[in-house]
Amino acid sequence: MKIAFTTKEPTWDSMMEARFGRAEYVVLYDEESGDITIHNNADIAAQEHGAGPKMAQAMADLKADVIITGNGPGENAHAVLSKMGTTIFVGAGEISVSDAYKAYQENRLEKF
Amino acid sequence: MMKEIVVISGKGGTGKTSITAALASLAKESCIVVDCDVDAADLHLLLQPDFAHQEDFYSGKIAHIDKTLCRNCGRCADVCRFDAIDFKEGHYVIDALSCEGCGYCSHVCRPHAIVMSERNVGSWYHSHTKYGNEMIHAKLNIGAENSGKLVAKVKKEGKAIALAENKSLLIVDGSPGIGCPVVSSLSGANFVLLVTEPTLSGLHDLKRVYEVVKRFRIKAGCIINKYDLNTTVCSQIEQFLEEESILHVKSIPYMTAFSQAMIEGKTVTEYTDPVLKKLLEESFETIKQTLGV
Repeated sequence: MKIAFTTKEPTWDSMMEARFGRAEYVVLYDEESGDITIHNNADIAAQEHGAGPKMAQAMADLKADVIITGNGPGENAHAVLSKMGTTIFVGAGEISVSDAYKAYQENRLEKF
Repeated sequence: MMKEIVVISGKGGTGKTSITAALASLAKESCIVVDCDVDAADLHLLLQPDFAHQEDFYSGKIAHIDKTLCRNCGRCADVCRFDAIDFKEGHYVIDALSCEGCGYCSHVCRPHAIVMSERNVGSWYHSHTKYGNEMIHAKLNIGAENSGKLVAKVKKEGKAIALAENKSLLIVDGSPGIGCPVVSSLSGANFVLLVTEPTLSGLHDLKRVYEVVKRFRIKAGCIINKYDLNTTVCSQIEQFLEEESILHVKSIPYMTAFSQAMIEGKTVTEYTDPVLKKLLEESFETIKQTLGV
């Protein structure tokens, strides 16, 4: 599984960002290979309108199977993500990325 | 831990900004105030900030024609869907108000005479209010529109100050409607205060905006302002709050003190009406208890 986290800083130790479209960074963890890759989301965060749907596109490009975030995507972004079949977990907006991953593994996150 | 309260209403004229200002005047220096209702910003009329620090804000694009490269072929004007390119005194010129920044003209311009640049849509400010709050707010240029980007910017600045100065609260005057700026106002909030009134449109817009709040799973409370104007709709609102498990923070009767205070450029808590002041103080206490601050 490739898991995308919306974060404030470009590290695994970062705090999570509650916002979806306008999160500062996306930390992508590939469970199979163990690789962690960082994506700077500044371009999308600086969109005048429609940051959410563009973020959904970015998730498709990153081939994320799972998204872990805080509030969850808005209606437009969600329409795209549900067509893609991406699983979204919310409620992880105020913890660290590693705690969010742990909560995901232990099935403690709410499915959007 | 800093908590973020966003005040929204869906419908205009319910008293959202008056109540936001009242909360800010009660919270004093413990809070940072952010005005995300940038299209029709009016929180500053009540809180009277000093506009101490100003920065330009850029959002979206605008086309510019370099006259020295332009061959006057007119392809740009032909393709513009917004009629934003006029032929004046022998030159093609961009009408800044009509240009939507789509970039089609720049794309078809063979001599590359049209460049797209960042559009200056207004300014944002870091101020101090007369109630001791620090305030982040913005002012748009004529014809410019609010955006999720601008809302995210003012909120981010407000949050950074709140965290750096160890403030317990961020009070946000949210954007109207249910679109992009509202989504941007809401995301990251710990509590949403819905201000409504007992009219059909008040209830309709409350339900509509609550759909957005619910989607983001943010805890919500509601103030029914002018509750005694229509008892039938008021009980429909109360029923809706109960069905959705929304905290009924307070019902406030119709009071001319709201408009009187506004005319005097004061918050309703500063304007001397002890009954109203008490209702708002109690509301603020209820919200603080819910948030644990």
